[in-house]
Amino acid sequence: MSTFSGIQQAATSLAASQYGLQVVSQNIANASTPGYTRQSVDLASVDPVGGVPRRYTVGGGPGGVTVTGTSRLNDAVIDARARTEHSRSALADTTAAQLSQIEDIFPEPSDTGLAEQLSTFWSDWAKVANDPTSAAPRTVLLQDGATVASTLNSMSQSLSDVGAAAAQSLGNDLDEANTAASSLAALNTQIRLAHNTGVSDNSLLDQRDVLLDKLSQLVGGVATINADGTATVKVGTDASGAGGVTYVDGTTDTAQTLSDDPTSGYAISALDPSTGTTTAITLSGGSAAGSFTTLTSTLPGVQNQLDAVATALATAVNGAQANGYDVAGNAGTDMFSVPTSTGPGSIAAGIQVVMTDPNLVAASGLQQLDGSGNPIPNKDGSNALGASQLGTASGSADNVYASLIGAVAASSKLAQQGQATQDAVTSSVDALRQSASGVNLDEEVTNMLTLQHAYQASSRVLSTMNDLLDTLINHTGVG
Amino acid sequence: MMRVTVGSSNYAALTGLQSNASRLAALQAQLSSGDQITKPSDDPAGTVRALQLRADVKQNTQYASSASDAIAWMSTSDAAYSQVVTLAQQARTLAVQGLNSGASTGTSASAIADQIDAIKTSMVSLANTTYNGRPVFGGTTAGDAAYQLNADGSVSYIGDGVDPGTGAADPAFGGVVNRTVGSQNTVQINQVGTQVFGDEGSATNMFAVLNDISANLRSGNYTALSGDLGKMDTAIEQVSGAQATEGAAYQRVQIAQSVQASNKLSLQTELSGIQDIDLADMAVKVSTAQVSYQASLQTTASIQQMSLLNFLN
Repeated sequence: MSTFSGIQQAATSLAASQYGLQVVSQNIANASTPGYTRQSVDLASVDPVGGVPRRYTVGGGPGGVTVTGTSRLNDAVIDARARTEHSRSALADTTAAQLSQIEDIFPEPSDTGLAEQLSTFWSDWAKVANDPTSAAPRTVLLQDGATVASTLNSMSQSLSDVGAAAAQSLGNDLDEANTAASSLAALNTQIRLAHNTGVSDNSLLDQRDVLLDKLSQLVGGVATINADGTATVKVGTDASGAGGVTYVDGTTDTAQTLSDDPTSGYAISALDPSTGTTTAITLSGGSAAGSFTTLTSTLPGVQNQLDAVATALATAVNGAQANGYDVAGNAGTDMFSVPTSTGPGSIAAGIQVVMTDPNLVAASGLQQLDGSGNPIPNKDGSNALGASQLGTASGSADNVYASLIGAVAASSKLAQQGQATQDAVTSSVDALRQSASGVNLDEEVTNMLTLQHAYQASSRVLSTMNDLLDTLINHTGVG
Repeated sequence: MMRVTVGSSNYAALTGLQSNASRLAALQAQLSSGDQITKPSDDPAGTVRALQLRADVKQNTQYASSASDAIAWMSTSDAAYSQVVTLAQQARTLAVQGLNSGASTGTSASAIADQIDAIKTSMVSLANTTYNGRPVFGGTTAGDAAYQLNADGSVSYIGDGVDPGTGAADPAFGGVVNRTVGSQNTVQINQVGTQVFGDEGSATNMFAVLNDISANLRSGNYTALSGDLGKMDTAIEQVSGAQATEGAAYQRVQIAQSVQASNKLSLQTELSGIQDIDLADMAVKVSTAQVSYQASLQTTASIQQMSLLNFLN
């Protein structure tokens, strides 16, 4: 043991305290940095007594303390769970938001909604029946019919707009995921390099976790952390319902490219740039999966129901027209025209009132002919009276519309409840994650005080040592 | 023990504030609109029920409007019936007078006959009574009269709803004016002219009887004239019968009106129960939400300021 080993010991202690303070400072500085994981100094004592001259061992000295590393205080299991829950949360949020947009198109119950317009339209028929040949009620009937048709047109248009927005956000989500995936692939290279060369890679790992969080929110999937700190991400399931594709490969540092095809039902596929092969996949989580479900199932369902409303209306009214006779006594003609369906929503988008002359409304149910077989006008209103009851018939436009509203409302409510439940779960996992890896200022200040005192005490040791040596050198044997 | 970190306490505070604020916002949306259902998903079942109730209310309003129209129509025709009966009885009295003064001069008989003819003309104009431009006894004719007075003094039915072969009313030829005044409650509010004044070509047709009386008075055929009295009685009975039929219809419409009134009340009560907010209840809920929002704001503000640093020098 050397005469000066005490000084060496004190020096290691000063250095360790200083390094500790740096880590505290880093933690405090990043207290609110997203994705930052708190770090702590790993210290090990160096045995001051012993036969081996410790000064020759790596990082050691004649006793004292040595810094063995800086730990990143995360919990890998909670991190993985947080990613899963965030992926579900993003799915629930997107679903609820898009359903709420669909729901907003149907502002019921109200004095101006389609249900009220339909009731008014049927009521108009009864007014025509009460005064069959007068122009006023007939004109009102046609106008209210046109209002119903144009409301159906604009509802269908709004549904298409929601679809366009969902398609846009699906595309954006996939683009964003692709960017994150290629960033992650590049990061994997750096992480491996740092790991292999023994450089601290904590900030790279923080970045990796941020990217993994982002990917899970966008496209879901499962991330695996490899032994060297690199990450492998698998997304979706393939056609067989299993597997999915390796989106980001942690061993080859490559990323695939996800894209959707709006022309064939927004089918999502992954392209492997190295081989050029594409694999069709189904995403199981993340906001992209939410938009995909809206586009491929929710929205077409609502559009088809709206088409059913338009078809029911046109069929019922045109059917009633066909049974009656107009003011001149001629057989009734179609009031509404509906196009042939060219996809969900197209019928509601194209329904219109083709009748322009109010006198063509077939109010009369009675055909009277003169001697030469020409029609004679009459003031019968029985056909219009019958038509006024069409709204309450089973399968009427009103009933189909009410069930549409019921279905949209129920699924929107369900989505909102799902969102609330998922939010609670995600919050609790986030809290757990924050609790494991977040920065607590009180704790850091406490550590700072401890380290400060350790530094002061080591300085005291050093100055005591100095006094001792002073006594030994300057006051011993001088005589 | 769970570590509390800057992130987790911020996050928890923010989540708490937001959930309180959104609860308050939802309550305020309900309070300011007065609607319990501001969007369908607030209450899917209630929304569908409200749609049904609104349609029912609308339907009920339409029934009420049809019922008032029916009442107005039938009041018009009822007044006509009473006047027809009065005129017919006058004619009968005149005929009896003619019989009693049978021995008197032909001049007075022809004076009575003139009066009978005048009564016939008034009767034709009564038979052409219109409601809203439509002859009430003309069935569903597009014309503006039910009967026409011909040049030879005879009167013929020109409305519809009458079988030209038999001269009797037949719904197969139309002429039925219906009003739907309730669910499954359609009331015929008119009587075709021949149901009131007798079949075309029948001996007891009101106008034929009047013409007969007038002719017999002028010709002094008192035997036939006394026979006319019986025919007139039959004709008057026919008018009264038609009036009674329409009276029954009138009553049905009145009953329907009272049903409508009570339906309106119950429908609106139910609709209001589903749709409208309970103001007192809502006010309490809003102030509770306000208090909890304020409390969370205050605690967040005071807790966020706390740190060990505050207590170290």
